[in-house]
Amino acid sequence: MQPIEPIMQLRGVTKAFPNGTLALRGVDLDIEPGKVHGLLGANGAGKSTLIKILSGAYRATLGKIIWRGEPVTWDNPKAANDMGVATIHQHIPLVPTLSVLENIFLGNNGSWRRSSASREQFDKLCARVGYWLDPTALVSSLSIGQRQMVSIFQALGTGADLIVMDEPTASLASDERELVYATVRRLSKGENKAILFVSHFLDEVMALTDQVTVLRDGKAVLRAETANLDENQIAEAIVGKQIVALEREAEHRDPVVATGKPLLEVRNLTSPSGLAPISLAVAPGEVVGIAGLLGSGRSELLHAIYGSDRYASGTVAVNGEQIGRSTGAAVKAGIGLVPEDRMAQGLVPDFEIWRNVSLPALHGVSALNSLPIAERERERAWQAIRLLSIKADSPEILVKELSGGNAQKVTIAKWLFSDVRLFLLDEPTAGIDIGAKTEILRLVRQLAGEGKCVIIVSSEFEELIAVSDRILVMRDGRCIAERKTSETTEHELLLLAGGQSATPEVAIH
Amino acid sequence: MNTDVQLKVERQNVSETGAPAAPRTDWRRLFGLREMGVYYALLLLIIVLAFITGYLGRANYLSVLNLSNVVYQSSLIAIMAVAMTVVLISGNFDLSVASVAALAAALLIGNADTLGFWPAAGIAMAAAMAIGLLNGAIVQFVGINAFIVTLGTMTAVRGLVLIYTDGRSLSASDPGVVETMRNFEGGRHDFFWLIVAGGIALLAYGLTEFLKSYRAGAALRPTPLGMTLGGIALLLLAWAADGELLVRNPVIYMGVFSAVVWFTLTFTMVGRRLYASGGNSEAARLSGINVTRYKLMAFVFCSAAAGFAGILFASRLRSINPAGLQGAELTVIAAAILGGTSLFGGAGSVVKTLAGALLLYSLTNGFNIMNLGANWQGLIEGIVVVTAAAIYTVGGGRAKSKTGG
Repeated sequence: MQPIEPIMQLRGVTKAFPNGTLALRGVDLDIEPGKVHGLLGANGAGKSTLIKILSGAYRATLGKIIWRGEPVTWDNPKAANDMGVATIHQHIPLVPTLSVLENIFLGNNGSWRRSSASREQFDKLCARVGYWLDPTALVSSLSIGQRQMVSIFQALGTGADLIVMDEPTASLASDERELVYATVRRLSKGENKAILFVSHFLDEVMALTDQVTVLRDGKAVLRAETANLDENQIAEAIVGKQIVALEREAEHRDPVVATGKPLLEVRNLTSPSGLAPISLAVAPGEVVGIAGLLGSGRSELLHAIYGSDRYASGTVAVNGEQIGRSTGAAVKAGIGLVPEDRMAQGLVPDFEIWRNVSLPALHGVSALNSLPIAERERERAWQAIRLLSIKADSPEILVKELSGGNAQKVTIAKWLFSDVRLFLLDEPTAGIDIGAKTEILRLVRQLAGEGKCVIIVSSEFEELIAVSDRILVMRDGRCIAERKTSETTEHELLLLAGGQSATPEVAIH
Repeated sequence: MNTDVQLKVERQNVSETGAPAAPRTDWRRLFGLREMGVYYALLLLIIVLAFITGYLGRANYLSVLNLSNVVYQSSLIAIMAVAMTVVLISGNFDLSVASVAALAAALLIGNADTLGFWPAAGIAMAAAMAIGLLNGAIVQFVGINAFIVTLGTMTAVRGLVLIYTDGRSLSASDPGVVETMRNFEGGRHDFFWLIVAGGIALLAYGLTEFLKSYRAGAALRPTPLGMTLGGIALLLLAWAADGELLVRNPVIYMGVFSAVVWFTLTFTMVGRRLYASGGNSEAARLSGINVTRYKLMAFVFCSAAAGFAGILFASRLRSINPAGLQGAELTVIAAAILGGTSLFGGAGSVVKTLAGALLLYSLTNGFNIMNLGANWQGLIEGIVVVTAAAIYTVGGGRAKSKTGG
């Protein structure tokens, strides 16, 4: 193998944020032309920060970026783009009301909306990629896979030599994924482009990439040729060897024995938004973890149980009584949902802590069952602040002024003051610091100890192992495996959720 | 020297007696433009008008007669503006109020001679609420933006009025009906003692709450403060009225209606859920609130209030011109915006909307007194509305809670 001069080299890149977080601690990365370079890492490992530095959205605090052998600094995405680095973001930023052609050449300078030159360029692009789209179609009329192709065209249209793809297949169906794979191969092998391919799916990383870098805690912990690796080694590198205190506690925990009637019974629950029929029973005091990647149907399952997905069908029964398909009925039946996006779905940003905390359970603080007494509500909010150690001086603080972890605690506190028996937690620890994380996980165990059910979704499987009694693995809208926590490892969950190749042998080891 | 030391000690004592953990009252916010701006503007306008009228030697603006006239003139718009505040809080928008009011007026006048006043009024209210239901159903179930839907119904309902009246003015002629209308709209009652009692009650309640939070070392809240100031204003009015204060029926209706809505929004679960539905409808829905129903009912409520205003309007004139009340929806919305109601939902206050309506009508009244003529009015009103919006957007700096009663 003759050595190829890397087109992009990172040397000791470090990124510190003003709030003191060290997202990257000296990362080295070499990306070679004609190769697909896989970038992997758990949530919070620093992938997004690295991508943003490559694309010019952030500036590295320390370290060097060497582009085509010359050290460069770029301050904005446009500068990076002009030099030949294009980034395809996970949430495809296209203008839905413009046509395909207009979106692809959005960054170009020119006076006219329709020019024959851009049309010719578009035809050339199509020929290069081997994929044809109607250039006059509006982006809003395209499927997600087609939109992904538009953003690939957009990146190519700038004449980039390095294309950064941030989880390009996360929300695609399998045939659309194949299309993206084919395009990636064609670009790297056929046109000698360098591609940085970020993904959670281990199987596609194995199949598609030539080299792999794994980030953990802001450091590159594995750098190797894909051919010399297997999925196990990659998973090992992603997980690392840390065991949090909770995991140690988990080892000493007696598994919940499901005796008597289950508290929650779900039968043939399915939803057109991406959930294959699933049946499930949860016993009082049991914590069920849902392991799955983004788009695996994990949030859809929770919303279907909660009744907030009005197109879902199937039956949900609490204590043997079937509940109606509305959020009001679910709350009455004693179900509480902590949604994934706390600011958009969980809280009213302009309300103070106390008005948010009391919102789902106003009856408990009201006179005559209809007049909420503000004093009681404030008292309840004080309780929540003490109970969950929310860092706030008073319940009068507006929730939009709280930090992520504290806002998350408020969304959980909403459900602690009424007779909620089943908690549905959707990524309750996403984007919050380790201290708050541990407190929330402790709370989950405490709730279970009081005989309540918890269904918890998380992309961080070590957390699931730390708190759950049983873990369901979801992929592509269906539950593909179920494991007792004592009989599984984070490693195995990663393999199951991220690839199909997990074999029974792996499961046993 | 000695005194210096003593002062220091005293200061320390003062700071120690206040509970250390208690939040401090944010006086700048409490009296800031964002919280109190509309009251300042109203006060400023009244003072300016009082001085100008005094200087020019015209009828005194501050006379009780003139002030009660302003309130009377604003009552119809104020009723609709209070209901509009409810729709705006729920996160929607209703442009059709004036057309709905005109339709109710036309139905009342058209049917009163044959059916009698009350059955005709019932028909008018039913029609108004049906249109509100239609607005709400299209917005909530079809998912079209409320602005577009009500822009359509505004035009369509005005068309209905034209069809119903055949483009001509209608008037009521039956003497019995005319008499009922006169009693319904034109009656006056002496409310002197009620105003005195109300003023004292507000003042007393406000001051007790004041003392309570002072003793508890808690932060001062805007509601008791507003009550105290309102009480003082009412007592001043009673003092100026000199023993007799005649209040006309529409003002009474407005007062009762606003009080009920204020109470509902401020103190009941329904109010809290409405604010939550407008503030973040997804979070409200996931908290088990039937957001669709709340938003739908806000439309029905708003149209019902418009229907009632239309009935008052028809009873006042005892006739209806098919172009009657045209453009009033903009005054209604302007009053709500002057009161700091957010167009994005989740924030708004009935009392401030009332102040906004009074502000607009004080302007009109002032122009009349000063003989400035109607030509200038639009320009000044427009400037006032935009200035108010600018103050709410920029002036307050950090956005604090905007949902106080």
